[in-house]
Amino acid sequence: MLDQLGNGLLLGIIISVASVALSLLYGVTRIVNFAHGEIIALGAIMTLFFSSPVDYRVLFLEKYSPLGYNFALSCILAVFACGLFGALLEICLFRPLRKGNVGNIAVLVVTIGLSIFIRHLYLLFATGKVQDFPLELQRRQTYLFFDMTPRNLNVLIAGIVVMLIFGFLLTYTRLGKAMRAVRDSEELSSVSGINSDNIILITWISSSMLAGLAGIFQAIINDVRWNMGFLILLLIFAGTVLGGIGTSFGAMVGGFLIGILVQVSVGLPFMEGHTEAKNAVALAIMILILLFRPQGIFGQKERIS
Amino acid sequence: MKISNKFLFAVFLTGFSIYLVFALNPEGASRILLNLLTFAGIYGLSAIGLNVHFGWTGLLNFGHASFMGVGAYVTLILMPHAAGREGEITSTGLPFIFALIIGILSAALFGLLLGLPAIRLRGDYLAIVTIAAAEIFRLLVRDLESITGGVYGIINYTENLQQYRPNFINNFSESFGFSPSQAWVCLLAWVSIFFTVIFLKRLNNSPWGRALRAVREDEDAVRAMGKNAVWLKLQSFMLGAGIAGLSGVFLAFNYGSLESTVFVPLLTFYVWAIMILGGVGTITGPIFGSIIFWVIISETDRLAFILFENANGQQLAGVRFLLVGLLIMVLMIFRPSGLLGKKEELLLDVK
Repeated sequence: MLDQLGNGLLLGIIISVASVALSLLYGVTRIVNFAHGEIIALGAIMTLFFSSPVDYRVLFLEKYSPLGYNFALSCILAVFACGLFGALLEICLFRPLRKGNVGNIAVLVVTIGLSIFIRHLYLLFATGKVQDFPLELQRRQTYLFFDMTPRNLNVLIAGIVVMLIFGFLLTYTRLGKAMRAVRDSEELSSVSGINSDNIILITWISSSMLAGLAGIFQAIINDVRWNMGFLILLLIFAGTVLGGIGTSFGAMVGGFLIGILVQVSVGLPFMEGHTEAKNAVALAIMILILLFRPQGIFGQKERIS
Repeated sequence: MKISNKFLFAVFLTGFSIYLVFALNPEGASRILLNLLTFAGIYGLSAIGLNVHFGWTGLLNFGHASFMGVGAYVTLILMPHAAGREGEITSTGLPFIFALIIGILSAALFGLLLGLPAIRLRGDYLAIVTIAAAEIFRLLVRDLESITGGVYGIINYTENLQQYRPNFINNFSESFGFSPSQAWVCLLAWVSIFFTVIFLKRLNNSPWGRALRAVREDEDAVRAMGKNAVWLKLQSFMLGAGIAGLSGVFLAFNYGSLESTVFVPLLTFYVWAIMILGGVGTITGPIFGSIIFWVIISETDRLAFILFENANGQQLAGVRFLLVGLLIMVLMIFRPSGLLGKKEELLLDVK
C-alpha cells in the first residue's frame, strides 16, 4: 500500500491545485464549471506549444515554426495564457450571461457545452495523440517513505508553495476580502463600493491560472492529452466536495486526500485485479460525503437540499 | 385541438431536414435516412425519459447514460449471448420480451436506488452526483469482466430479437436495399416512442402529472397540499429511468455488440442536446429534436471533409462533438426553451 503513496501525493497535488481553482470560482460566482478541465488541458498544451523544439501544430496553424523556449519560461507564459483565456471567458461569455439574469442551472449546462466544444477543438487542432514535454527521463529516488523522481518532488513542493501563497493572499489581502464579500452577496458588496465585476474578473483569471498550473503539473507527471482535463474533472469535483465547497484550504486538503485515496486503493485486498475501478472509489466517497456531510471537512453548514 | 405555430414550425423544420438528407445525398439517401431515423428513435426515446426528470420534475440528471446502460446490460445478460475475451457462450436464457421487462424494471429500480439519496440534494449538487454515479456504473461494468464481458463486451445476442422479425420488414428492406435487422430495430423504437408519448400524454393530464409539475414549480406548496413531494420525485426518477432503459436496449440491438464505452458521459450530453433542442418540458418535442439533431450530426461529416483533406475517424468524431457542444451552448444561451418548450415552464435557477 505504501509504495503507492508517492503516486498518491503526485495525483494529490494535481487535484489539489485544480480543486482550489474550482472552489475559488464556485465560491465567488456560484458557477459549477464543467469547462474547468479544458482550462487545465490548455495549460499543458500551451506549455508544449511554447517549449516544444519539434514541429508542433497548434490551434488552426497548420505548420508552426517551433518556438522552443526555455521550459520554465514556457510554463510561466502558459499560465498567463490560461489567465487570459479565463478573462476572455468571463468577458465574452459569463458576464453577459450574468447581466442577462440567466439562471445557475442554465449556466451549468452552458459550461458543459463549452467543455465539449473546447475539448474537441483540442482534439482537432492541437493534439490528437499523447505527447510528452521535452524533458529528459529521470530515475525514481526514495525520500523518507515514498519514492518519486526528483523533478516530481520539485513539482510537489512548488505546488504546495503556490497554494500556501495563494491561500495567504486570499485570507489577508484586500482583494481576498473583496472576493469573500462578493461571494456572500454581490449586491451588498456593490453597495459598499466594491466593483464586483472586476472582482469576478480577477477570480476568473486567478482560477484559470491555477488550473493551468495544475495542467502543467499533470503533464509533467504524466503526459499531454486532449482530454486530460476531462479525465480528472470528476476527481477534482470529489476533492472540492470532500474539503468543503467554496473553501480554499478545504479544497487543498480534499484534493490531496482524494489523490492519495485513489492511488492507495489500488493496493487494497478487494481491489486486486480491479485497478481500473480506482476512480470509482473516489467518486463513491464524494457521493457519501454529499449525503452525510454536505459541507465537507472544512466547509460551513449551508442548505444544499 | 388547436395546433400552435411553434408545432407547425417544428414539423416544417423536421421535414426540411429530412429533405436536406435527400438533397445532399444523391445516392443512398434512403439508407442514410434509415440509419439516422433509427438513432433518432432511440435517442428520442431516451430524451423523452430525460424530459420526465428535468422537464417535468426539475431533476438535474446528468447520469442518464447509466439508466440506458442498466436496461441494456440486464436485458442482454438474461438472454443467450456471448461475452468476454474468450467469447464465453451462455446458450440458455429468457425470451426477449421477459428479459426486456426485467431490464426496464431494473433500470427503474436503479433510478430509485440513485434517486433515494440524490433527491435530497440541490440542483447543481444533484448534477455532480448523477454524473459521478454514472461513471461508477461504467467503471464497474468495465471491471466485472466475468459478467459483462468488460472491455471485450457482449456479442451474439441480436438473434434474440431478430427471430421475431416479421416478413414484411424483409420484403420492404429488400426493395429499398436496407439492412432488415436495422429496419426492425427502427420500427420497434418508433412504435415504443408512439406508445410512450400516448402514455405520457395521459399521465400529464392526470392528477399525478399535475402534482409532478407542481413539485417543479414549488415543492413547499406541494407539501402543504398534503402530497408527498419526495415520493413523487422518486416516481419521476423511476419512470424516466425505465424509459431510458428501454432505449438502451434498442441501442444495444442497433449496435450488434455492446461494451462499456458506449455509456460514457458524452451519451448523456447527446440526449441533453436533443431534449433542449426539442423543448424542455414537452412530450413530443424530443421527437422533432432528435430527428433534426441526427440530420445535423450525420451531415457534419461534410464539414469535416472541408476542414481536413483526408479526415480520419478521430477527426470525423471530433467535428461532430464540436457541433454538439456548440449546439448545447448556443441553445441554452439564446433559446433555452428549444423548439416547442415554454419559457415560463423552465427551471433554470437553483432552488
